[in-house]
Amino acid sequence: MASIMRSSVLRQTALAAKPAFRNNAVKAAAFHSSAQRSAILPPGPQRIEGTVNDPVPIPNPSAVDGSYHWTFERLLAAGLVPLSIAPFAAGSLNPTTDAILCSAVLLHSHIGFQSVVIDYIPKRTYPGLRKFFWWGLNLATVTVGVGLYEFETNDVGVTEAIKRIWKA
Amino acid sequence: MIAQRLGLAAMRSATKPNAFFSQNIPRMVLASAMSTSQARLISTEKLTPEQGQQILVKQRLDRPVSPNLGIYKMEQTWFGASAWTRITGCALSGAAYVYFTAYLASPLLGFHIESAALASGFAALPFVVKGAIKFALAFPFTFHFINGIKHLVYDLGIGFAKKQITRGEIALWVSSILGGGYLAFGL
Repeated sequence: MASIMRSSVLRQTALAAKPAFRNNAVKAAAFHSSAQRSAILPPGPQRIEGTVNDPVPIPNPSAVDGSYHWTFERLLAAGLVPLSIAPFAAGSLNPTTDAILCSAVLLHSHIGFQSVVIDYIPKRTYPGLRKFFWWGLNLATVTVGVGLYEFETNDVGVTEAIKRIWKA
Repeated sequence: MIAQRLGLAAMRSATKPNAFFSQNIPRMVLASAMSTSQARLISTEKLTPEQGQQILVKQRLDRPVSPNLGIYKMEQTWFGASAWTRITGCALSGAAYVYFTAYLASPLLGFHIESAALASGFAALPFVVKGAIKFALAFPFTFHFINGIKHLVYDLGIGFAKKQITRGEIALWVSSILGGGYLAFGL
């Protein structure tokens, strides 16, 4: 009987007397909460597809989304450097140059806004909002394109208009 | 956090059996009671997969936000040229989008925003206001233009030494502010 008892009594006494156990619990508690930092962009609603053990899906490698798009973006930006100086430096009104400048600026703006939408409205977190802004941007760009066409045909042209207002 | 620690410690000590409480109870009873009253500090709970998912979602909301703009040095985030290129570009393009959409709709809405009306309206403003409006358009343009070129140079793999980056940043801010000022007041 004594031998049955001894082990459990010893265990209980050891448990009560051991302060290290309590310290460990307190130490462990520190890992269970993280201090709240104020975030300028708070995390959006969490959408978890499948379980936590699923691997992250690998996006389809597409040159059109990746390297071609990147190169096109840079060529357009590089082309805009002379295009935006030339008409003002030359001081002459040329409808063709003006039209090229306007289309290049419109495309450059569209690509720029697209990257803003891609960066700040992630598809994973806000799929509906992303679609809304994506198609809203397409609509806006088409509207502005028509507006630019109207301006070019009925008004004096963008370069000339800027010059006139600037010197007014 | 301290309150939580105290709470946890209190909870743990409450569940912990006291070895000296049962001194007067006959030993046999004590022994049998002790063998079954082990402290189980971790209890398991049956959860449905949906409940588990909800806990996961809640935990993820408590994770640190990345990029957390509040934790960086002011000059690294708030005056980062890359971010301001985007901001200035969006401001200019946004203004252009608003203007040309309004221009397209102006016959329907009865606005007069054709170039002649704008030029005559602009001419009537005092010099300081004209200059301020021009600077508000010219500075974003010069900044976006100059830093756009800088980024095209970066894309060729040139100019990534720390010294070059710092100097380039200072040159960019000085030249774009001066350039914007010249376009606004000098022309």
